[in-house]
Amino acid sequence: MQNFIDTFKYSGISMQALGVTIGGLVGVFATLGVFFLLIWLPGKLGKRKD
Amino acid sequence: MNDLFIGFTSLTWQMGVMYIIGGVLIWLAITKEYEPMLLLPIGFGAILVNLPLSTVWAVTGAHGAEPGFLQVLFEMGIKTELFPLLIFVAVGAMIDFGPLFKNPYMIFFGAAAQFGIFATMIAATFLGFDLKEAASIGIIGAADGPTSIFVSSLFAPRLLGPISVAAYSYMSLVPLIQPPVIRALTTKAERRTRMVYHESNSPKWLKVLFPIAVTMISGIVAPISVPLIGSLMFGNLIRESGVLERLSKTAQNELAYLVTLLLGITIGSSMKAEAFLTLDTLMIMGLGLVAFVFDTAGGVMFAKLVNLFLPKGKKINPMIGACGISAFPMSGRIVQKMAAEEEKGNIILMHAIGSNVSGQLGSVIAGGMVLALVPLFMIL
Repeated sequence: MQNFIDTFKYSGISMQALGVTIGGLVGVFATLGVFFLLIWLPGKLGKRKD
Repeated sequence: MNDLFIGFTSLTWQMGVMYIIGGVLIWLAITKEYEPMLLLPIGFGAILVNLPLSTVWAVTGAHGAEPGFLQVLFEMGIKTELFPLLIFVAVGAMIDFGPLFKNPYMIFFGAAAQFGIFATMIAATFLGFDLKEAASIGIIGAADGPTSIFVSSLFAPRLLGPISVAAYSYMSLVPLIQPPVIRALTTKAERRTRMVYHESNSPKWLKVLFPIAVTMISGIVAPISVPLIGSLMFGNLIRESGVLERLSKTAQNELAYLVTLLLGITIGSSMKAEAFLTLDTLMIMGLGLVAFVFDTAGGVMFAKLVNLFLPKGKKINPMIGACGISAFPMSGRIVQKMAAEEEKGNIILMHAIGSNVSGQLGSVIAGGMVLALVPLFMIL
């Protein structure tokens, strides 16, 4: 992980921004993905019980 | 004698330009009704702070220069990030996650439509802004005023004025910005896609548990985002608890109106001529537009990508993707209007609102990610 950050960190400001972009988009999708499971799973389990 | 006319002799042409800018913001608020609750106080604040000697900002008293009332508000409400966070409590109390609970997969559009934040941040670095400033400018693409103010007050306080004006101006211009971008990226047939809506009620325990779980997960993933997401979800918990109706109503009305009023005029006070009339402001206004265009494009293109994997008859109307921005409920309504214009009786409103609500979550999470990641990638 630190290697990934360092690759972008020492390659100029636009590369730093690209690093934040990759990390940010992955982070937003992953976090909202967890929220999705939080909503979707109870619905799925509820249907199975019925 | 000179003291008598000090008001006249202190006037500069830059102050005149700021009076015009303040006047235009007030005009837009009153005649066009573009975000009047914010643009009007911002416009008036811009005029106030640019009056000769700027006594609303600092006054010379018996003990030398003392802060004026707008500086007091600025120090207390913006520097401490208190005002944007109180607005988040109010916004949280207004959000109904119901449409999202009925179509949980809509949440991913709230992620895709944050693309503009990051694309704009990269573009801003090419224009000479440092990473923190570029990130603050990119956050205009969150289409979420309090998040923009929160991030820029931490990362780029000198750009707070132009960033806030750009964020709120473009939010109010969403009905003009989004439709041409959506039309350019979709075919008529795609815009006519119908989506089936199943009416169902979400259990109360889910509505109550959701804000708590979201806060905890966000706090673990990006601890720095907790003030943002925590205040938003606190407001939502008050709403969904069902036992704090008066507090919920207070947050949605009195708290929202009062803090918005103070926030607006305080943001206006950050628009001093010498700080505002710069090339940076022009670039920020341009980049803000880029952010909104890329947000819309990101959401639409993501929906088209998802459609590649869906069977016929289950395709998504790609316009739904554009609602993943945080401008709620404006974006959802625009997309519904466009769908109905393409084909009479095509109702995609609930899906659009579901996507729009997830945009509110997505923008706050994106703000938290930026706050967490920028220091990691910067050479200190």
